[in-house]
Amino acid sequence: MNSFLYITSPLDQFEIRNLLSLDAPILGNLSLSLTSIVHGIVVNQINAKNGQVYFPLMYTLFVFILMNNLIGLVPYSFASTSHFALTFSLSFTIVLGATLLGLNKHGLEFFSLFVPAGTPIALLPLLVIIEFISYLARNISLGLRLGANILSGHLLLTILSGFTYNIMTSGFIFFFLGFFPIAFIVAFSGLEFAIAFIQAQVFIILSCSYVKDALELH
Amino acid sequence: MSEGAKLIGVGATRIALAGAIVEIGNVFSSLIHSVACDLSLPKQLFGYAILGFAFTEAIALFALMMAFFIFICFL
Repeated sequence: MNSFLYITSPLDQFEIRNLLSLDAPILGNLSLSLTSIVHGIVVNQINAKNGQVYFPLMYTLFVFILMNNLIGLVPYSFASTSHFALTFSLSFTIVLGATLLGLNKHGLEFFSLFVPAGTPIALLPLLVIIEFISYLARNISLGLRLGANILSGHLLLTILSGFTYNIMTSGFIFFFLGFFPIAFIVAFSGLEFAIAFIQAQVFIILSCSYVKDALELH
Repeated sequence: MSEGAKLIGVGATRIALAGAIVEIGNVFSSLIHSVACDLSLPKQLFGYAILGFAFTEAIALFALMMAFFIFICFL
């Protein structure tokens, strides 16, 4: 009882474990789990050796965005990622963090990110300005993409449901005719389900790409 | 009159959808081409297609957000 074989630390609570995973050796060694998907993305985008440091951040971000998107799809619930306050604060924080990471690692040489390889000297000032503006636009585009997708999906569902309700309450025969718009709304909700996953994945692919740009200066 | 002008402006932003529609078709058509061109479909290729689809849809939604911005923020 007095010999501790394993040193426990309070950081054990932050360990990322596989809660839901699919392991099917029959389907050609298919082994899917959320951690393996996110780990594959992180290691492929950032450096394969040193990139694992960013895995907890990217996994947390992925699960956060995915769960917020999915909770928003429940009827009468609240889609928090459709509000630009949340998505812009996430994207501004991540791009600012990647910039600070690059500045810390490379110092003033970080600004060589704005000079593409092999450009003629005459075009250089214009190109640096364009690259700088495109770098600033990364902040907005990352958050705007996620927020606009979720917002527009919910907005379309709201508008369609309003019209379908008006159709279905305006007569006896129209109640049965109203099942065709309802079928379309169900199908579109399936698409929104896929969009929830895709937008979370695109968010972290781009976040990993921005971290890689800051670390390795292409 | 300002309300009518705003509505015309919002409708004019829908022209931006033309480029987005062409590009989404382009992405998936090149996916089908590259699958038919003696390449078994690994998940990475389909992942690239989904990534390209998300980017082009983002541009279409930027145009939608500009429409909302024009409608709400100008008098």
